[in-house]
Amino acid sequence: MSPPLLSVRDLRVGFATEGGLVQAVDGASFELAAGEVLAIVGESGSGKSVTAETIMGLTRGPNTRTEGSIALDGRELLDAGEEELRQVRGARIAMIFQNPMTSFNPVYRIGAQVVEAIRAHRPQVGREEAREHAVGLLDAVGIPDPERRVDRYPHEFSGGMRQRAMIAMGLALEPEILIADEPTTALDVTIQAQILELLRRLNRERGLATILITHDFGVVAELADRVLVMHEGRIVERGSLDDVFYASKDPYTRKLLGSVVRLDRAAPLRPARREQPLLEVTDLVKHFPVRQGLLFDREVDRVRAVDGVSFSVAPGETLGLVGESGSGKSTLSRAVLQLLRPTSGSVRFGGREIAGLSRRQMQPLRAEMQLIFQDPYASLNPRKRVGQIVGEPLRLHGRASGADLRSQAGELLERVGLAPEHYNRYPHEFSGGQRQRIGIARALALRPKLIVADEPVSALDVSIRAQILALLSDLQEEFGLTYVFVAHDIGVVRQVSDRIAVMHEGRIVEQGPADQVCERPANAYTQTLLAAVPVPDPRESRARRSSSAS
Amino acid sequence: MAHFAIRRLAGMIAVLFAVSVLVFAIFNVIPSADPARQLAGRSANPQLIASITKEWGFDDPLPRQYLTMMENILTGKVVSYETRENVDERIVEGIPATFSLCIGAAVIWMFFGILFGYLSAVRAGGLLDRALTVVAVTGISIPVFWLAAILLNYLTYRLELFPSGSYVPLTESPLEWANHLILPWVTLAVIFVGFYSRVLRSNMLDAMNEDYVRTARAKGLSERRVMTRHVLRNSLVPIVTLFGLDFGALLGGAIVVEGIFNINGIGQYAYESLINLDLPPIMAITLFGAFFIVLFNALVDIAYAYLDPRVKLGETAQ
Repeated sequence: MSPPLLSVRDLRVGFATEGGLVQAVDGASFELAAGEVLAIVGESGSGKSVTAETIMGLTRGPNTRTEGSIALDGRELLDAGEEELRQVRGARIAMIFQNPMTSFNPVYRIGAQVVEAIRAHRPQVGREEAREHAVGLLDAVGIPDPERRVDRYPHEFSGGMRQRAMIAMGLALEPEILIADEPTTALDVTIQAQILELLRRLNRERGLATILITHDFGVVAELADRVLVMHEGRIVERGSLDDVFYASKDPYTRKLLGSVVRLDRAAPLRPARREQPLLEVTDLVKHFPVRQGLLFDREVDRVRAVDGVSFSVAPGETLGLVGESGSGKSTLSRAVLQLLRPTSGSVRFGGREIAGLSRRQMQPLRAEMQLIFQDPYASLNPRKRVGQIVGEPLRLHGRASGADLRSQAGELLERVGLAPEHYNRYPHEFSGGQRQRIGIARALALRPKLIVADEPVSALDVSIRAQILALLSDLQEEFGLTYVFVAHDIGVVRQVSDRIAVMHEGRIVEQGPADQVCERPANAYTQTLLAAVPVPDPRESRARRSSSAS
Repeated sequence: MAHFAIRRLAGMIAVLFAVSVLVFAIFNVIPSADPARQLAGRSANPQLIASITKEWGFDDPLPRQYLTMMENILTGKVVSYETRENVDERIVEGIPATFSLCIGAAVIWMFFGILFGYLSAVRAGGLLDRALTVVAVTGISIPVFWLAAILLNYLTYRLELFPSGSYVPLTESPLEWANHLILPWVTLAVIFVGFYSRVLRSNMLDAMNEDYVRTARAKGLSERRVMTRHVLRNSLVPIVTLFGLDFGALLGGAIVVEGIFNINGIGQYAYESLINLDLPPIMAITLFGAFFIVLFNALVDIAYAYLDPRVKLGETAQ
């Protein structure tokens, strides 16, 4: 057997912080052979990204303590000088990152940034020649019209195109290794499928060895040859794709695999409800005007964010609203709650028309409809105590004060699985999952009838995600809540929803019972969406690929 | 671009109108500023004051008086109530001195502000950073008049290195022009150097955590190139905004520095006119200053669109 291309031995990376040394990677050893795809899987904080960045020497700094060995073709990288390391970066090992939106410098043209990478390693290459090379690279990663696009700025590219361009830049110097750190996490599922296909093609055609860092077992099953599972800085499981998926010995890995939401496993069905709907939306339209003018702005165009949407939700039911970014699902949920004034259409809540009500008229109704937000970090005021955050709706609506407020807030915290003693803590002392519980407690405070949850679990790790979904479902039982569950992940939506509505370009293209929409989709867009979801099952994933290839 | 220019021009006129009305209104509610008495001078008697009031239209309704004043300012006919000099001519005479002072100071403060800010950020936490922090905070905290006095005392009176001030036109002798302006330039620039270097330092420290900086390192750029092409370049955008506003404001007259160094520019003239409650020059200088502030605001927006391709001229943010 040939010696490994990259060999990592007993890697330990620690960061000195005010609270002491944080050991991010705690003795990781692995090897990467030429031409193979190695997936490193783990939840946030597992050390997978730190491992990858340390290979590139990107974690170096006065507060970093690194031990062990990282050898590329037998050459030690950990104690290599800055200049020696610089010659490896980009030229022999390229890296692409999670967020293609922010990973390009917004002030330079795409082509200039690729040219910069080429000339950093081959200064003898002229600008014109480097530009030609950049055009060829953009073409190779499937960017249409590369001759023109090479002179565009990053903000003129879509998310998927930016990630392609990022990959093109990574390929510029024909590296032997590509490290892809969550390359598709920030992308829509249909775009994700294209990027994964591109990575697979590059691996196959160019023999590009790839380290794939991800939290998503679906992505792993689509792409990897071998898998490492990381947990708290250690590698807890390693093996071939099939070994890890079907014969894992490690309890953490099995737990992680068990909490993966699977599109093809339905939630138990509840009988359809025939009652008077709690929420009834008819022909709802929300347009944003685009204004322009010489002295006074007049409307020249409009963005049709929500363009004639109708649906209804029965009491106690969960409607899943699925769509990719830009489909209008967030605008729709805000227009339903009257947080945005709809352009036209009707929203009936409990039989009463609420579209067009004034702020003051809406005020008492606000108690009955609450919102849970996506980002548990941004949606809690960092300067308020958790008890104040949870109790605030009660105070604002004059439902409770003083000791009563305190005890009610404590009960709410307990109900969502936190302790009443957490009352006096601040949000930053909690993990993402706990914060989302705080957000849920706040939404529950006024005993609402309707809760609109806008991507409530998409910022959470898979194991936490499962807990939050279970909590939401328990609360629905207990309080008879009605949910509108907004998400981009149709697998998650299927797990919690009775009915699903699929949004695309401001319209609902298909709606119906969850099973029907997921198993017998009638609409072409729904079919594309479903086909793009990676299956966290290597055998099925292979079967699907070979059937689509034939 | 044409849209943008027309919009900005309309905005400029509106701002200048509002500023002039405000100054005029304030002046007219201040007690003891009777322009007729001012014009009558030492030999004032009730008859003379009454006749001046009539002749100059000081008993006209205020809107009418305002219009007359604006007409005179814009046609160059306005005269001081105190000295009966033509105001617009005095302002034009002051321009070379004031502009020489401001432009020279701006070159110094931009150069050292960016240099110190850059070095501080690159060496954040190190000895050089701490030293430059002390320099910057000192610069911001020193009162301008005190600094001027110290510089004059040591460099002019004791060491006799520089003249004590006053303005020598550039056309007369470029060397003397610079020699006379060095102390005023430094005095004016010090506070801005401190301020700009702090702002740039913190912008750069923010920018260093951006994803695109990590990308730049990952593609194998040298550390210096990462710092200049990616970190510094992107951090300069807010500095340009600050510069436009500060510089525009200074062109309307650097009152304190001009006063101390006896530079007969617009700031000096503004000071005299304020002491004498002399409305015509106050109005004219205010308009003159406001014009540059508005103009530089527009220039800042143009620079913004150039520095950050995501910004489009004339588009209103939704």
